Amino acid sequence: MAASGGGGGGVAARRRFCGAAKQITKSNLAAALGEIESRVRGCDFVAVASRRTGDSSSSSSGAGDRRRWRRVLGADTAETAYLKAKRAAESFELLQLAVCPFRLRGSKVLAFPYNFHLFPRDELNMGMPSYSFSCQTSFLTSMAREGFDFNLCVYDGLSYLSRVQESMSRERIPIPHVGRLSSSSSPPSTRSSVADSIFMGRVKSRVEHWRKAAKEPSNAAEGSLVKSLRKLILGGDEYGSRPCLIIDVCSDHQVQLALEAVSHISDELVPIVVPEKGGEPTAVRVVLTSSEDDKNLLMAEIQKMEDEQNLKVRGFREVIDLISSSQKPIISYNCMHDFTFIHSKFLGPLPPTEHEFMCSLRMAFNNVIDVGHLLKEIGPLRRAKNIPSALSYLKRRFFVPVDLEIPFGDENGEKSDGHDVLRLVRLFAKLNHLLKITPDCQTQPGDQSTQIEDYSNVFYPTYTSVQEHEDEENIGVGVNTNVRKVSTENLVFLWGFGETSANDLKHRLKGYHVLFSEEFELRLADNTCAVVVFFRPGAAEELLREIGSGSASAENMASEGLKAAGFEAYKKVCILGLWDADLADSLESVLAEPTSDHAAVPAEVLWSGELMLDINDLLES
Amino acid sequence: MMMMMRRRRSEWRLVRACSRTLTLTLTLGPSRPISSGEAGGSGGGAAVKKVTRWNFAEALEGLRARVREADFVAVDLEMTGVTTAPWRDAFEFDRPDVRYLKLRDSARSFAVVQLGVCPFRWHAATSSFRAHPHNFYIFPRKELPIDGPSYEFLCQTTSMDFLAKYQFDFNTCINEGISYLSRAQEIEALRKLRPQYEDSSAAPSHTFEELGDIPIVSTADLLFTERMKNRFTEWREGILRSPSEDSSEESLKFSTVQFQTVFFKMRPAIMLNGFSSHQLKLIQLILRKHFKDLLYVRTVGEDGTWQKRVVYTDSEEDKASLLKEVQEDATRSTVSRVRSAVGFRHVIDLLASEQKLIVGHNCLLDIAHIYNKFIGPLPSSMAEFVLAVHEIFPYVVDTKHLLNSSQGIQYFMKKKSKSLSSAFSLLCPAVSSPSKNFGTSSHVKVEVESDEAGSSCFSSGAKHEAGYDAFMTGCVFAQICCHLGVNFELLSPSANLTKIDRLAPYINLLYPAWNSGTVINLSTGTEKPEPGYKRNYPPVVFSKVILVWGFPSKLKPKDLKESICKVFGPDSVTSIFFIDSTAALIQLSKEEFVNDFLLLKDTLERKDDAISVLHPLSVLLEGGNTRAGNYDTYRDICAASASKFLFADQADAVGTTCKRKLDFGSRDSAGSSETTEVETISPDVKRLEGLKPDPKKQSSRPLSCEDILDSLYASKSLLGKRMRSA
Repeated sequence: MAASGGGGGGVAARRRFCGAAKQITKSNLAAALGEIESRVRGCDFVAVASRRTGDSSSSSSGAGDRRRWRRVLGADTAETAYLKAKRAAESFELLQLAVCPFRLRGSKVLAFPYNFHLFPRDELNMGMPSYSFSCQTSFLTSMAREGFDFNLCVYDGLSYLSRVQESMSRERIPIPHVGRLSSSSSPPSTRSSVADSIFMGRVKSRVEHWRKAAKEPSNAAEGSLVKSLRKLILGGDEYGSRPCLIIDVCSDHQVQLALEAVSHISDELVPIVVPEKGGEPTAVRVVLTSSEDDKNLLMAEIQKMEDEQNLKVRGFREVIDLISSSQKPIISYNCMHDFTFIHSKFLGPLPPTEHEFMCSLRMAFNNVIDVGHLLKEIGPLRRAKNIPSALSYLKRRFFVPVDLEIPFGDENGEKSDGHDVLRLVRLFAKLNHLLKITPDCQTQPGDQSTQIEDYSNVFYPTYTSVQEHEDEENIGVGVNTNVRKVSTENLVFLWGFGETSANDLKHRLKGYHVLFSEEFELRLADNTCAVVVFFRPGAAEELLREIGSGSASAENMASEGLKAAGFEAYKKVCILGLWDADLADSLESVLAEPTSDHAAVPAEVLWSGELMLDINDLLES
Repeated sequence: MMMMMRRRRSEWRLVRACSRTLTLTLTLGPSRPISSGEAGGSGGGAAVKKVTRWNFAEALEGLRARVREADFVAVDLEMTGVTTAPWRDAFEFDRPDVRYLKLRDSARSFAVVQLGVCPFRWHAATSSFRAHPHNFYIFPRKELPIDGPSYEFLCQTTSMDFLAKYQFDFNTCINEGISYLSRAQEIEALRKLRPQYEDSSAAPSHTFEELGDIPIVSTADLLFTERMKNRFTEWREGILRSPSEDSSEESLKFSTVQFQTVFFKMRPAIMLNGFSSHQLKLIQLILRKHFKDLLYVRTVGEDGTWQKRVVYTDSEEDKASLLKEVQEDATRSTVSRVRSAVGFRHVIDLLASEQKLIVGHNCLLDIAHIYNKFIGPLPSSMAEFVLAVHEIFPYVVDTKHLLNSSQGIQYFMKKKSKSLSSAFSLLCPAVSSPSKNFGTSSHVKVEVESDEAGSSCFSSGAKHEAGYDAFMTGCVFAQICCHLGVNFELLSPSANLTKIDRLAPYINLLYPAWNSGTVINLSTGTEKPEPGYKRNYPPVVFSKVILVWGFPSKLKPKDLKESICKVFGPDSVTSIFFIDSTAALIQLSKEEFVNDFLLLKDTLERKDDAISVLHPLSVLLEGGNTRAGNYDTYRDICAASASKFLFADQADAVGTTCKRKLDFGSRDSAGSSETTEVETISPDVKRLEGLKPDPKKQSSRPLSCEDILDSLYASKSLLGKRMRSA
């Protein structure tokens, strides 16, 4: 089933994508895991795409949200955009993650799309993976329109725990494991006290005695009474089909002592530490194996049990770990959003700054490629607002044949889930061809092609715009006219103007202060606050200074109730996470804080006339 | 899921088949007296009418008549969650204002996904009640192009699991749920939509001028303007030419590839599709500058999106009349669209206007949800809330309270669980398990009526489905009335249940929370202790309470007590309650200890000498994150809207907001609460300092090799990014 040609998912293409992805839920994860692992190991790239209950990017659907300044604005730096993505990742939930390992051979793409249905289930009754999550109704309705099955998700979705949550749960949900002598601390025998050596001696004699008895050829004719008596006297028990002895312990120290004692006796003995709720060990089970093979068999059995238990605890995260350990380059369209979600759901809590986030993420995924960033490499595509528009542009302008083959059969019927990730794969394959990127494994010496590393781990803050431009002119012309780089020093946040439109406000401002007769741009961040960009460096500073000192020229503004702050105040709002109020209120509360005097480091934002929304855009959506 | 649905449906078919035969034998007409035994099945359900947005209008009309003639209406809700964080749970010793804040937080955060309404009417001829259970699926869809309330809601994972366990159909809810606007939202929508239509559809002079100064800065804009100008000219000329000329028609078609020529109010028009808002502005500018007879008109289409057209008008008069028509249309359609967006609230308005007795089971949270979703934002205090509710629903009765407070029922229930379903099976065995034969005398008969015509939307109800729960609540209420000695036989058809002496003492008395031990009177707003409630904790004196959070997690209650007792004396700690693992409320024996504690803590933190390290309280302050405040601090933290999972995180996040309020608000606060202010501010200030790039701090921290590598790597990629974008 090869779907060739471009097309932003025409009817035919969509049909073909229907059922292309394997749907994975609670019932079939365990069975599919092995297969997924081999696909991931054998592929060049892994593409991921997610479905969430809400987002921080500005999409048409988000317009109903009163606090729309929480979305990524044109006035956001990488830092503040990260903080917004962080808020979104912490409040919303992942309902689906499509994972598609694929191989790239020239124009031929071999893809294995899997669609994982997720739902956070508090299976351990500990408020994990999440106690509650937020939903944007607009997200849910648009997902519903595409036929998303919410019942499948809530009833059968896979649960998970992040790595951090798993280690927290380990303390409370104990799993018996093979005891290993800790090498880090000095062996207990070197600093043994009298009590310790008595304990070890007792363990040793008990185990030896029991072992001797257990090794004796058991009398088949022995009655059940004798058997239970023997059990009672020797303290022996059975571990599966093997004899075992339980040694009661009350601390980690005693566990180490017992392990050491056992290790000196025989290689046939396998000690298993049985912890209790709260993480404290309660007993060491010593299992007697009959031979080296038998021991290996037992170890394998225990390993299998541990794996099963792990799968139960980790759930879907097994897949994330598997992708992480494969070290394959990961392809995503909206990396900042997808990976803040992935980090907070499957790795651990998001760090407070973007830099720390990137470092922390790199530990798990060292090679992430943002297709949004790749698009910037091809000038005209810079303004493509989403995957379909980029695909349709490519289709018109370039001849890039891509032959997408999905070896799975069409077995799953009428499900459209999962085609997002296939579109992403297709787009990446085309860009890859145009930009001549080669994956590591295919690099030949003297090759002129670009290394994939040059593109990895650069996240481009993506804005999804209100309108989709399918129109050629819109993408073709005026690439650099609307987007310009603006230093954060030139931004002023204004509020206190009442309900108005951006144009109205702009008009009014001209009467308030002489600085507004200069060239400036203005956009509404939400109903209460506007962002002004001055094109002359220093103008913003001047204005803020005059307002701050209450000079006569700013009186007009003050008497109108207008207030202003610089980018630092806005950044502080983001850092403090004052998301729950209108931007004006949040800025107000930050200004009320005692000011701290540290030099602000100016940064750059990509100011785009198109990106910021004015009130009419919002009303039209 | 499909399997289940199918199963349910076939079950229903079975039930219906049964009912038909029985109806024949009993000749009872369309009503199915389930008290006599057929609707049982496995679920013991009753025919519950499922209402979605597809059959809402019709169901609403039906319901109007049913409610009008009903003796009482039972109501039940299903929500997406109850508590936003573990520490938001209701605690027995919560002060009434805190209890209300928790209730309000819950009602504001979660969504209502199902609402059951079940009118009951006494039918003298058959000596039984007739019930009409309705199960409404509800979903807050954005239906108007305005900024709504928060179209964002929380889901508590355990509640979602619970709903799933009882086979709640999320797909129906999201796809077909009925949307709504509260009364406050409706007013806001009318206010916001009206002027907007008027401005935009017409071309008032001020917009003209405003648009006049859009600078055409880029060549792209210039090109676009020229191209559009040409196209409009061509199109206009095409219209003006006689339509009979074949060649011109062809050229018309040819030249207007991008334009879809349509007719608007009998005038030729173009649909403007696929333009950006900036381009639309340019188009308006072109029209005003160059085409006096072309008019830009924006209307709302049937699907609720804006439709933008350019319309040709013959003359100035024609133009004026078009403008008038469009404006009138807009006003009309605004009103009707807002009306239809009101959606499910019509049901609530119906219940309010009919002033019937509303019956719920432990229903204060339900009422808070109803108020928040369908009336307006919840007031700031319990008293205001309760009185506002009383104005809308003058008669409310809570079956949970009835079960607890009437002695006869108490005896009958014999300490059984007072959950709705257990009360139902105990009190109404004839309805819940009709197969068994019970004595008829003491049991009120209830029949469920369903019209045969629209039977496809009926399902056999099940526990924890709002419609069926409302039905059970109503049955329990009818049975309790019977036990209280209300004789329905003797009631005249027009009699008002709320006026019956035996029932009157129970009306408008609700529980503020399941474990408050008090009852609130909706008509007076007063809260009284409930007689016979057994408290687990002694009453708390709130002025003696300190709130401590952020202390080392290893501390157990006894450690806290020990450390405080060492300072204030062996009997200084009355009780300790852990809100969650990060915070505790501690009641001290004397009121002045609260202030002393806060002051002492502050001094200890400021000093960093050996004495303060050895101070008994340092156990508590270890780690430097320990904060404290009095009970009002606790209330302020509960009042905040955000909900972090851990109390300590919430308290830290609230820090700045708290402070802001105190800055603007009360300056006259006493010494003790001033200390509190200091305490609430500090976490955020500290946190902020921690985040600042402080070179000294960073260099003093030992850097691991990995850290250095990471930062190098990051700077390389950042550098790359900058170079590429340059």
